[in-house]
Order: sequence, then C-alpha cells, then structure tokens
Amino acid sequence: MRLSLATLISHGRVARRIGLGPKSRIDMLRNILTGLVRFERIETTRGRADEVQFYAEKLIDYAKKGDTDEKAMKMATFWLTEKDLVPKLFKVLAPRYQDHQKAYTRMARIPNRTNLDRAEMAVLEYKGHPFPPLFHPKRDNDLTLLNQLLKGYREERARQTAAKSD
Amino acid sequence: MAACAWSVSTAMCSLRASQGKHNRFLSTSLLRLASGADSGQTPKFKPPTKPVILDKSDTEIPVRRFVSPEFIPPRQRTNPLKFALERKDMLKRRTMLKIPEFYVGSILAVTMSDPHASEKTNRFVGICIQRSGNGLGATFILIIDGQGVEICYELYNPRIQQVEVLKMEKRLDDNLLYLRDALPEYSTVDVNMKPVPSSISGEVHLNALKVRMKPKPWSKCWERPKYNVQGIRFDLRLSPEKMEEAQKWAQPWLEYDMLKEYVILSSMEDIHWREVQEETCK
Repeated sequence: MRLSLATLISHGRVARRIGLGPKSRIDMLRNILTGLVRFERIETTRGRADEVQFYAEKLIDYAKKGDTDEKAMKMATFWLTEKDLVPKLFKVLAPRYQDHQKAYTRMARIPNRTNLDRAEMAVLEYKGHPFPPLFHPKRDNDLTLLNQLLKGYREERARQTAAKSD
Repeated sequence: MAACAWSVSTAMCSLRASQGKHNRFLSTSLLRLASGADSGQTPKFKPPTKPVILDKSDTEIPVRRFVSPEFIPPRQRTNPLKFALERKDMLKRRTMLKIPEFYVGSILAVTMSDPHASEKTNRFVGICIQRSGNGLGATFILIIDGQGVEICYELYNPRIQQVEVLKMEKRLDDNLLYLRDALPEYSTVDVNMKPVPSSISGEVHLNALKVRMKPKPWSKCWERPKYNVQGIRFDLRLSPEKMEEAQKWAQPWLEYDMLKEYVILSSMEDIHWREVQEETCK
C-alpha cells in the first residue's frame, strides 16, 4: 500500500527483502508457491502474497509452453518443491488458462491476524478454482417490493411529463 | 601445309563443340589461325564473351544476421522516446562511418583523429575485450599489445575515422577483461597485421583458446561462479581446494528467479536489423 508519492518512488527496488537473505527469500517463496499450486487458495501475510503473485503468474506462463519445453520443465521442477504437483501444473492449470493472457491470480486483503502479531494478511488464489467465491456476486434485487414501487413511480412521472408537453 | 590446316580446323570443330561449356578456356589466336587458313583474309576481331562466375554455394546460405548489441534497449527504466531518437542518430552516423560486425575477441584496427599526432590521426591495433553501453554511448575496449594499455573507444564518437576488423572471431567468453591478468603474450598483436578474410555467412569462427594467467593477486577473483569464465586454465594456478572454495559464492537460484530475467525478443532484433538494412541501402 502506497500512501504518498515519496513511498511510490521505488529507487530501483523491485522486490521486498524477505527471510535471511536472497537464497532464503527464494526458498520461502518456493514453499508458498507450492502450497498455492496444491490448494489453489492460500492465506499468508500481505507482503509475501504480493511477492508470490508475480512468480505464480510467471510459472503459469512457463507452463503454457508445454511440458516438452526444457526451460518450462526446469522452472516447474525448481519452483514446485513437491514433485507430484508438476503434472498438475501442466495438465490442469495450463489448459485452464489457455484463453487468458494474464492475471491468472487474484489477491484479496483480509483482516489482520490477531493470534500472533497483528500482521496484515491476504488471500491469494488461482482463478477458476472449485471453491466458493471470495467476493459475493452482486445480488439482483430488481424484484423487491421497494424497487418495483420506485419503477412504477418513475414510469408514472414519465407518462405525466409526456402528457404535459403535448 | 594442307595437313596443318586440316588439323587446325578439326581442333576448331572440337573447340566449338565444347565452347558452350567452357567459355573461359577458349583461345582466340587458334580461331583466327583457322579462319585465315580457310578464306585467306583476317576477320574482324571479336572479343570473347565475359565469363560469368556463378558460385552456387553462396546463394544457398543466407547472409549472417548481426544486430549490434547497442541497438537492444536495456532492461531498466529508460525513456523510449530518448532511445528512439538516439537510434535515429546512430543510424545517421552509420551512413557516414561503416561500423563493421565485430565481437569480443576480434582483432580490430581503429583510426582516430588526433590533433597532437604528426599525421593528425593515430591507428591502434588490439583485441576487443569488452563491449558495453547502449544507444549512442556504446563503447568497446581494445587491449593494446604488451604495454599494459587499454583504450576505451566510444563507438559513435565523431573522431573515429575508420574501424577495421583484422580478424573476426569469438572467444569462449563475452568479456575478456581477464586478459589484464593473463600472460602478456595473449594480448600481443602484430601491428602490421594483414586482414584475415572471413565469410559473411555461416557461424563466426570460435577460438577456443584457454589462457594461462600470471601468479595470483588478480584484479578480480576470476574463479568465482559470478564471472563464469571458461577461457582460463585454472588448473595451472589454483589448487582443487581453492576452486572448491570459490563455489561458496555460487548463486544457483538466480537462473530460476523470474524477476531477474530479461528476454530479448527476436522481434526486437528483427526491427533493428531491418532499420539498419534500410538505412545502409539508401
């Protein structure tokens, strides 16, 4: 979250420093990404979710090249620490996003966690999963009594103004 | 005499028969002699048709495509408009000065104007050890023989008058800065070297030379995985334990970090190749 222009200017910093160093950072992101591919919806701290989102999208981009592609296979075996997920990536997730160009994931903010350290939390998910949606779809309340009365009132007004102008 | 004339005319017949195939081997004096024996007066001289040399192998292999690396936009926050303007200027400069295709490891001769030199120009011959920069600020470094001198030339400097490629070849690495710490024989070039001809198609000749180094204090720890140097005989200077120790600095995850990768699209190269071709063909 950027509050002001001063914090918007990144000065070349493109990634957060997570963990105990660059290797630790990548390992942490690998573990989170593996969980994301397995469960398709995970809950982490907001910073980590934001970092993982980029890698999750890039991994799908690689997976769309197919499992015959050497680079794609190398990337998949590196980023998925549990190797039984490699077929899932190529056989389930890649065909699912064949029509999509980008934005395969969705991130949503949720309340801070209270049990530990009140860290900002977020939910990260791959789109098109079988779970109930995070955001409720907008309810169609056209047929409620109040809306029907308002609709009738509007139509009446329109009729009266038309009669007056004639 | 009659026998002589007969032998000449038979020789002519056989020559005429083979004339279609071997235009270039036809001797004209024999023709004149034969016709003179027949009619007794000298005919008009007809120049032989020019031989057309068709090299079929040349047309089949296409010309090697080479996009100078300074045309590829860098991976950073750059102003696209500024880069486009620079590219325009670069192409304009290329119409005046022919900048040839060359690689790190090629031997170049650069002529530059110098107001203090006696002939107002100086010419240096050396090995190109690094190409860096992009846009108008692109540079290359020549290591000049044996004197411990390097010269960094700006590729689009208006003072450069001529860039000659004496020997086009690639080395095992894209950066030969380790020649500073190698034995001087590897950076020694003959000043009066004649240009070695090279083909404009096919792969560039790869010189798989491995250099021997001076003893250890080097300008950089070339054995570390960061530099990924292939062209050094480390086994002559460093023990296996030292080589093992250098692997402590390895960062094997970097190649999997998608945040760091920068894909130079072939379409990008296509555009620059077409631009350069159009500008030079005008």
